[in-house]
Amino acid sequence: MFKNCTIKYAQLDGINVCIRVIYPDNPDGSHRELSVPLDEENTDYQNIQEWVAEGNTIQEAD
Amino acid sequence: MAKVKIQGHASGTGILTVTAPNTSSDRTITLPDATGTLLNSDGDGSSLTGANANRPNANPIVYNGDMLIAQRSTSEAGKTGSDYYTSDRWHIRISSGGTWTITQSTDVPTAEGFTSSLKLDNTATSTDAAMRVGIRQYWEGQDLQYLKKGTANAETITVAFWVKATKTGTHICELSDSNSRHCAISYTVSSTNTWEHKVVNFPADTSGVIDNDNSNELMIMFFVAAGTDYTSGSLATTWATSSDANRAVGQVNGADSTSNDFLITGIQLEVGTYTSATLPPFQHESYGASLTRCQRYYQHIVEGNQKMVGIATWANTTQVNMLLELSPTMRTKPSVDYTTGTDYWTISGSSGSDGSYDNVIQNSWSTGRNQHLWSNTGTANGTAGYANYWFSDNASAKLALSAEF
Repeated sequence: MFKNCTIKYAQLDGINVCIRVIYPDNPDGSHRELSVPLDEENTDYQNIQEWVAEGNTIQEAD
Repeated sequence: MAKVKIQGHASGTGILTVTAPNTSSDRTITLPDATGTLLNSDGDGSSLTGANANRPNANPIVYNGDMLIAQRSTSEAGKTGSDYYTSDRWHIRISSGGTWTITQSTDVPTAEGFTSSLKLDNTATSTDAAMRVGIRQYWEGQDLQYLKKGTANAETITVAFWVKATKTGTHICELSDSNSRHCAISYTVSSTNTWEHKVVNFPADTSGVIDNDNSNELMIMFFVAAGTDYTSGSLATTWATSSDANRAVGQVNGADSTSNDFLITGIQLEVGTYTSATLPPFQHESYGASLTRCQRYYQHIVEGNQKMVGIATWANTTQVNMLLELSPTMRTKPSVDYTTGTDYWTISGSSGSDGSYDNVIQNSWSTGRNQHLWSNTGTANGTAGYANYWFSDNASAKLALSAEF
């Protein structure tokens, strides 16, 4: 589902506020990105938790 | 007909009156060829079993059943994985199932009042045992309580739709719930590449209560192709604990030729058991009403160059804050789904605190009603407290919010 994506937290004032899912570049140099809330009812968040359960790790914020 | 018989009770008088007859021409009243009770002028309709007899909700259960709304795109090619591609609320399941082009098509049944259909066009084949290709939609539990699922008074369900498929033969329509229960009913496509109307009846389920909340509690899936992992058992024609092998027994392989297409529209789900003769008509919605319902799950904000998003304010010289008020309120706190690149977003106006930036981050304060977005990856020439217009600044820029299942 997140093949070749970069997944990392975003911070505001030192606190993680969401998860960024950055997709690979398109041919025109653009890319798709998701800003996923830390909310268990959000489907993207649920998918990320499944991805973590498979042994992957969310990167810390920049 | 040999005779017409009108029989009264043992006493009293039965009178059949034709009010103010027009004596210049005949008037014909056709009685049904069945035993029953005709509705009085003050009748409440409780004895009727036909049109509109059992619709406890003003809106259809199925969203965008006529495939009219397509906020994301009207055509997507080369797809090998599952996602929402074109018609809103319809999730395309592709797993080990080859490659597909998904289109909001104008190929529709003739003179049935539809203008759009959802089309899957196979462009690379598969015969994989784990193959699953289908079209599905999920519903919130709080919208389905009147199905009384999991109770002694559980309702039967009828699903009806128009389908046009290259592959003739058995196809499967499946309902499944959040309790890992499912029921799968077959129907037959008789003629290749021809629109056919199908009516599929599901039994009631007295087990598996649907939670009364905004979670995914019931799903419908129209199989297009299924590998042996899903066809090797016995079709679950009554509600039972989910078993992959029993999900799509008999399903033809719609992914075995690049000549294969599968189109569907006019999907309706009715409470109760109907035939093609008694089925209530499809509930057409206005474009605006259908769009608003779909926007509870996905809101397309802007796409393309120089499209206005809203007002942004500078928090300091580098960070801008943006507030989006969402209407309608979304199912849950949405993801921001956007296409971006260097300087794809601009804040500009008369204040002089202009800037460009490339990411849009969601703050944790955001809700399904209001979004607080911010960025600090652009130019550093803002003035704290200044506000300016916020707009897209590249033809490839796109911004949407998703609270889909």
